[in-house]
Amino acid sequence: MTLRTHLYHALLWLVALLFFAPVAWIVLSSFKTATQILSVPPVLLFRPTLANYERVLSNPHILWGFLNSLLLSCSAVVIAVAVSFLAAFSFSRFKPRGTAFLMFLLLSIRMLPGSAAILPIYLMYVGLGWKDSYAGVILFYAMFSIPFSVWILKGFIDGVSVRFDETGLVNGAGWFRVIARLIFPQVMPGVIAALIFNFIFVWNEFLFNYIIGGPRTANIPVALATGLYSGGGVDWTFVSVVTTLYIIPPILVVFLFQRFLLVGMTFGTVRGEV
Amino acid sequence: MSGIVVRGVSKSFKGRRVLDDISFIVPPDSLCVLCGPPHAGKSVLLRLLVGLETPDAGALLLDGLPLERIEPGDRPIGYVPQSFALFPHLSVFDNIAYPLRMQRAAPGEITRRVDEAATLLRITRLLAKLPSQLSGGEKQRVAIARGMLKRARAFVLDDPLVGLDFKLREALMDELKDLRAVLGATFLYATSDSLEALAMADRLLVLDAGRLVADGDADAVYHAPPHLRAAELIGFPRCNVLPGRREGGACVTSLGTLPVPESGAGDALSVAVRPEQIMLLPPGMQPVRGLGGVARVGLIENLGAESVVYLDVPGLRLVAVPANDAIAGLEVGQEVSFAIPSAELAMFDTATGRPAAGGASR
Repeated sequence: MTLRTHLYHALLWLVALLFFAPVAWIVLSSFKTATQILSVPPVLLFRPTLANYERVLSNPHILWGFLNSLLLSCSAVVIAVAVSFLAAFSFSRFKPRGTAFLMFLLLSIRMLPGSAAILPIYLMYVGLGWKDSYAGVILFYAMFSIPFSVWILKGFIDGVSVRFDETGLVNGAGWFRVIARLIFPQVMPGVIAALIFNFIFVWNEFLFNYIIGGPRTANIPVALATGLYSGGGVDWTFVSVVTTLYIIPPILVVFLFQRFLLVGMTFGTVRGEV
Repeated sequence: MSGIVVRGVSKSFKGRRVLDDISFIVPPDSLCVLCGPPHAGKSVLLRLLVGLETPDAGALLLDGLPLERIEPGDRPIGYVPQSFALFPHLSVFDNIAYPLRMQRAAPGEITRRVDEAATLLRITRLLAKLPSQLSGGEKQRVAIARGMLKRARAFVLDDPLVGLDFKLREALMDELKDLRAVLGATFLYATSDSLEALAMADRLLVLDAGRLVADGDADAVYHAPPHLRAAELIGFPRCNVLPGRREGGACVTSLGTLPVPESGAGDALSVAVRPEQIMLLPPGMQPVRGLGGVARVGLIENLGAESVVYLDVPGLRLVAVPANDAIAGLEVGQEVSFAIPSAELAMFDTATGRPAAGGASR
């Protein structure tokens, strides 16, 4: 390796560490005492303690918040991706009149900042009596995840030749089989990408959970915000422990699914198309 | 009526007519080749038969069974698409087995028939691989094997050999003919290559710009083309077309005059001259009757077994495949006398493309 590549790699490491620093700080803080966390200069060598974890995990609100976060993210994401996949397939294959406009409409809700959409949605949820109900919150997250998923998945399905559909149909497969057994496996990378993307979105969502949720359906970001102040100041041990635990599921999701994000498997299996 | 019957079929896409009143019959247990230039409507016709398109008018029957109301998957017709469309997530075995699986065949039958097809197409060693690991020719064979495994009475193949190298094409042409004989099924085979068409066909259909311009025994289509376009499209090197006009009972061309019987045909005529009908004459000899003249040799292409000679005459370049002894010592730029015996020449009405006269009846 030349000096140039060494320097280049050093630079990459530096940038990566820079991005990782806040995460490292919060994770390390979770094993410190409150005074160690706030000491200047920061304490790098210390005796780790699990006392913070014991205190936070004995708080039923936090455990409840974790369960809520998991339930809301997983169910919303599964519903959203299932609906989006079918919608994307129809847009891609049957091209209903006005497909381009419909696709635009679908995305337009995401063009508003959440704070602009929150009031009408709040009023609607109160009117329907859905506030602080699991079904209501899950449906909202699913609805909010669908537009982007449809866009991602339509791109992937467009990339799968209709010749596969035709070969399936001619050989006796019905549409359901074509969709589930021939097309779905080929757009796996797109499905996984949509799953991860939406999971992270719902997992980190605060505003809507705060407004249309309630004590029953509060997720961790809401629990974190409401539990932030205690004893007249920011409870840093609480923040660091909850945050450390909270970043584990997204890391696991990305780690477990990244191997499915292979592309290029389908290269050259239809003549004249890639 | 058994076999494939196509009766008065038309199809338009967005106001553009791609098939115009097509009627023909593919006799049972035969191999019929549908030949035509790209975009002539071959693929559309095959897609109509397998059910991927619906005709605007006309009827499609297989062994007397009207096909229109039958779903594509239930039609007893196997299909080898022009694209391979091998499922990338399934192994070669599973790809080939696909039609049988869809028809809920017993596992034993699936294994047996996949092995049979794989042996016939010499791809047994590929069965465990994924399509992405195959070469173009191998993918082609897998696609053919899969197309053949549907329990069907007829098979349509859409230009399955296009883009393959010459040796592979020759081998696969033979294999396909054998396969048809083994299956004892009716084949409708589309190709844009007229040599492939002549080599494979029991019966030859020529499609040009959505119209059927020839339908008959391959030999007859070649020697007595029923349409000017059929003469032009079938045969390699390409047929020469000599413009002429009717004057009394004769057709006058720049290379001489031919007798032409009175008929309803118009005054503008075209004479089809096959390259092998042009004879080079020894130096000093002049053609006695029929067409002929003196030309300058423009180019000589040596193909090994034969040579293609391009002859330049005023306003025209003729393609000839003279006998090998006739071209010994022939050089580019040299002047040479040639004759075209008139007895076997086919003449067409230029406006309609319909025969005006001639053509050897064999």
